[in-house]
Amino acid sequence: MSKKLIELNDISKSFGDLLVLDHFNLYINENEFVTLLGPSGCGKTTLLRLIGGFESPDEGSIIFDGNIINDLEPHERMINTCFQKYALFPHLNVFDNIAFGLKIKKLPKDEIVSRVTQTLKLVKLEGFEERSVSTLSGGQQQRVAIARAIVNRPKVLLLDEPLGALDLKLRQEMQYELKEMQRQLGITFIYVTHDQEEALTMSDTIVIMNEGKILQIGKPEDIYNEPGNQFVANFIGESNILDGIMKEDFLVEINGKPFQCVDQGFSANEQVEVVIRPEDFEFCDPDATHLVGVVDSLLFKGVHYEINVIVEGREYTIHTTKYRAIGDTVGLSVEPQNIHIMRKSKS
Amino acid sequence: MKKRLWKTRAWKALGIVLMSITFLFLYTPIIVILTLSVNSSKRAYSFEQFTLQWYVDVFRDPSITGPIVNTISIAILSTIISTIVGTLFAIGIHSLQKKSRIRMMILNNVPVVNPDIVTGISLMIIFSLLSFTLGFTTVLFAHIFFSIPYVILNVMPRLKRLDPNMYEAALDLGCSRYEAMLKVILPNISTGIIAGGLMAFTMSIDDFVITYFTSGNEYMNVSTWLYAVLGRGQSFTPAAYAYNAMIFAITIAIILFINLKKEKKGKLA
Amino acid sequence: MKRLTRMQIPYRVWMFLFIVIPTLILFVLALTNMNLYQIGAFDLTLDHFAIFSKNEIGIAFWNSFFYSSITTLICFLIGYPVAYYLSTLPNKTRKILVSLMIVPLWSNMLLRIVAWEKVFTADSYFTDLTGISLNLIGTQTAVVIGLVAMYLPFMIFPIFSVLEKMDRSLHEASKDLGATDFQTFVRVTFPLSSSGVISGVIMTMLPAMTSFVLPARLGLGTISLIGNVIESKFMKEVLGSSGMSINEGAVLSLFIMVLSVAAFMMITRVDKEGETLI
Repeated sequence: MSKKLIELNDISKSFGDLLVLDHFNLYINENEFVTLLGPSGCGKTTLLRLIGGFESPDEGSIIFDGNIINDLEPHERMINTCFQKYALFPHLNVFDNIAFGLKIKKLPKDEIVSRVTQTLKLVKLEGFEERSVSTLSGGQQQRVAIARAIVNRPKVLLLDEPLGALDLKLRQEMQYELKEMQRQLGITFIYVTHDQEEALTMSDTIVIMNEGKILQIGKPEDIYNEPGNQFVANFIGESNILDGIMKEDFLVEINGKPFQCVDQGFSANEQVEVVIRPEDFEFCDPDATHLVGVVDSLLFKGVHYEINVIVEGREYTIHTTKYRAIGDTVGLSVEPQNIHIMRKSKS
Repeated sequence: MKKRLWKTRAWKALGIVLMSITFLFLYTPIIVILTLSVNSSKRAYSFEQFTLQWYVDVFRDPSITGPIVNTISIAILSTIISTIVGTLFAIGIHSLQKKSRIRMMILNNVPVVNPDIVTGISLMIIFSLLSFTLGFTTVLFAHIFFSIPYVILNVMPRLKRLDPNMYEAALDLGCSRYEAMLKVILPNISTGIIAGGLMAFTMSIDDFVITYFTSGNEYMNVSTWLYAVLGRGQSFTPAAYAYNAMIFAITIAIILFINLKKEKKGKLA
Repeated sequence: MKRLTRMQIPYRVWMFLFIVIPTLILFVLALTNMNLYQIGAFDLTLDHFAIFSKNEIGIAFWNSFFYSSITTLICFLIGYPVAYYLSTLPNKTRKILVSLMIVPLWSNMLLRIVAWEKVFTADSYFTDLTGISLNLIGTQTAVVIGLVAMYLPFMIFPIFSVLEKMDRSLHEASKDLGATDFQTFVRVTFPLSSSGVISGVIMTMLPAMTSFVLPARLGLGTISLIGNVIESKFMKEVLGSSGMSINEGAVLSLFIMVLSVAAFMMITRVDKEGETLI
């Protein structure tokens, strides 16, 4: 159904002695909303700049729509970028900023006007044409930056942490609008962020990166529920990560106690890591479970409580709507499908 | 509370007194020059009569018109060249990695910190070595040499204030590298370029020491001509004061113009 | 972007030609008996350093040190409070005053010196104009006042530009933490303005030390600074009168250069990219 639009084959890139991308492979489909997620310095921005044409790879090839584009100049690619701090031109007003690319292409004047007007409508900035960009709020500048890119009708829009400078409320609003815009325009978005919540909210596909390598690619649900390793589990939401031993298929031993699970395909007695999301624990009768502990601390978080329970010397973080007082003895239960087994990370 | 108020007032008074002393130091010679420019006495032991004779002489007296033409032509040429070249150098230096950028800026600042006499001698040596005849060309080179660092110093902070992605954004939107420079970078650093050019012009029009060491026997600007006349124990035509008064008037006009323009811009925004 | 960095390559060549090579030649001139106009074989010699033992040179060095130190000290004592006061003024007043300080610098330096000559000469033009008769020409005081008037702005501007940019909330934070106004100044404001002070001191001291027209004119030729000696060593030779040695001039120039390199290293330490120099 969907067609590969961008392929990155065996890309390596270093700056000086620093290897930023290490034999990197990835393909991106048409009309996909792909998020590159990872801590700062993981190579995600560099990857974006390679696709945009601001850097060229040391090794490997970048293929766009079937053609190798390694050596194409930025303006020869059907790709536009929305920069981190917007990079709006301070000497031009809103209209001229958005019209910039069209004027460079020497389009007829009435077409420029109609396209800019249309785009301003799309980003909800009608009537702002004559405003100087320096008088706009952060959110409005963000919209101008997006408008300036999409008015050129690129096949791909690259967004480098575009919401990083906005406050929480505005960020959430823009997340929704960006997703909506992507659907309406039907173009590929490649979105870079270090904010896992943003990634989960907006993406069709998330690429989790660290130290120039892909750790996991998948749909948001899959990555959240089935993190491939400890780094991903930690990076995507809070997690309880425990040592365990896989006794047989569908049975894992934690703290020497057996638990039902839904994973299979491990060798007998393999050392594994067990991930349990804080919201997957339930309080239960202490006699009916292997996990019995004492409430150590409690924070009210609005929708839920964050409760730390000490079980046999180890701390478990639990998100629950039920109140327990500090010092209470509680039992913890968890459904087998909420116990995620991962192979041990090498380190 | 009262004590605090008293203390603030005392500090303010000290500030005002020292500021007045500063202006006294700066403007005493200016006032003397301005009065001399309209004084009919040539030897200037006293103020005799008001005259505008010297202002006419600025354009007619051959002893001074030569040096003035030299001064202004060198100033205009060196300003144009050093502003263009300095701006390009600044953009180049700015795009270097931090370490090499700092190294270049240190080198750039050598002529700024070096006393004029050392710069003048260094230039004289290199010109002699290259067997240039000291004169117009060598003075022009010298003025370009000491102006470029000031242009760079003025342009650099503007470049730093630019969004680092601005240039790339222009490329992304379809500009060639040349277009991106012309349409995006230059308009946004224009105030720095103008300030740098203005500084280059003033440094050039005012220069004595470096011109003195690089101009040889024949070629003279206003400063070296004055020095030569004074050195012979003669007195120069008061047209020199008139020339200076005119420069002074132009300077004030430029500053007023810049400030008014800024104010107008500020009101619009 | 790599292509932009290419634009500074000609500058490297340019600076090599006009800074590095002349410096090397100064070294050669100082350490050999080379003649700039008849370049050929030359021998290493330390003879030129003998000028340091000459009396007139010793006096010139002492004078340079003495006058530049006094000038710098006075400029600092006046300039720092002025810069500080300027930085506390409302924006508009501040701009007008700074502009007014720049304007006189655009007047010809030699004419300004001549004007001071008139001011310091008793019963002459200045007396006729104002009724004030100062008989200072040829004295130390005249030279010091002339130097201060000439270089004071170069002390004020760097300090002012640092103070102007300083975050006002730092003062408030310091006071909030219990410091008095004086303590705030000593512990916060002054240390933070040190880069401006160092630039100011250097931009005043080096030019004052090497000035030669001003001390000659206002000192009536009785006060000789190192600049006067260098000038005579170089110019007399260039202009054809003999008996003076360009090589000795090179020794003195190198000496000044050592001082300015030292000054330079100080500036570089506090202000790597020279932002306080303009």
